[in-house]
Amino acid sequence: MNGAVPTTIIVAGLALAGYALLMTALNRRVGLGLLVALGVLEILLLVLIGIIVARLVTGGRPAGLATLIGYLIAMPIVPVVAGLWGAMERSRWGPAVIAVAGLVAAVLMVRLHEIWPAIRV
Amino acid sequence: MSEPTAPPETAASRPDSTRTGPGRLLVAVYALFALSASARAVVQIATKFGHAPVAYLLSAFAAVVYILATVTLAIGNPTARRIAVLSCSVEFAGVLAVGTWSLIDRATFPDATVWSGYGSGYGFVPLVLPVFGLLWLRHWARRARTRRVIVPQATDAGEAAEIPHTSL
Repeated sequence: MNGAVPTTIIVAGLALAGYALLMTALNRRVGLGLLVALGVLEILLLVLIGIIVARLVTGGRPAGLATLIGYLIAMPIVPVVAGLWGAMERSRWGPAVIAVAGLVAAVLMVRLHEIWPAIRV
Repeated sequence: MSEPTAPPETAASRPDSTRTGPGRLLVAVYALFALSASARAVVQIATKFGHAPVAYLLSAFAAVVYILATVTLAIGNPTARRIAVLSCSVEFAGVLAVGTWSLIDRATFPDATVWSGYGSGYGFVPLVLPVFGLLWLRHWARRARTRRVIVPQATDAGEAAEIPHTSL
């Protein structure tokens, strides 16, 4: 597996976090722009999950399979929950929640690589 | 793309619970740690409990504390706030105790917990999170006191009797 998708997710996650924190600094609440950016991140995560599942199905086995499956379940949930929770907030703290989702996506890529080095970053 | 500007802090939009305003971020981060600590504890205990029982039981304990703090901060009524103060205090004591223990007695921790090395595996967020939690709860405790002084008949549950709030 080449590292294009995880690397893209790291860049997208950090970019989303930067964008969201800028919105917090500017005292904006969650709007369409942030939700679209979050949706892009979600799609990238789903693509990566597809790639990893395909690799598992074709016989690849990491040492920590249980942990990997936990990550596969948690990964797509984080942006969705962050979007809902952040959009409920009518202050600058809504975008801050979305910034956390972006940072988490980036950190998850590093952790995925630790669990299963076949997933390159 | 520009985002809508947050409305001014009016009576309708001002933070009205420990889950709104900065609390929105706090609950989100607590929920994240509740999820990761729980998942970690379940995987560790289910797959290799004998390898590091102390570390894994502490992971499970941390998970329970995080879940309790997340739920009580999200509810935010006076009783929940009291439980939240307790959970955040236990959490802070836990990070300091387990952090120190894990550095002194490495043999007991062949595998890490959330609180090992004062949460160094999680960017030290576990160390600062309870501090922010307790500061946020103190802010609410003070606010509740002020409200009782100004509106003596208001009970803790009488959120409708709040005084205007501008300090955020």
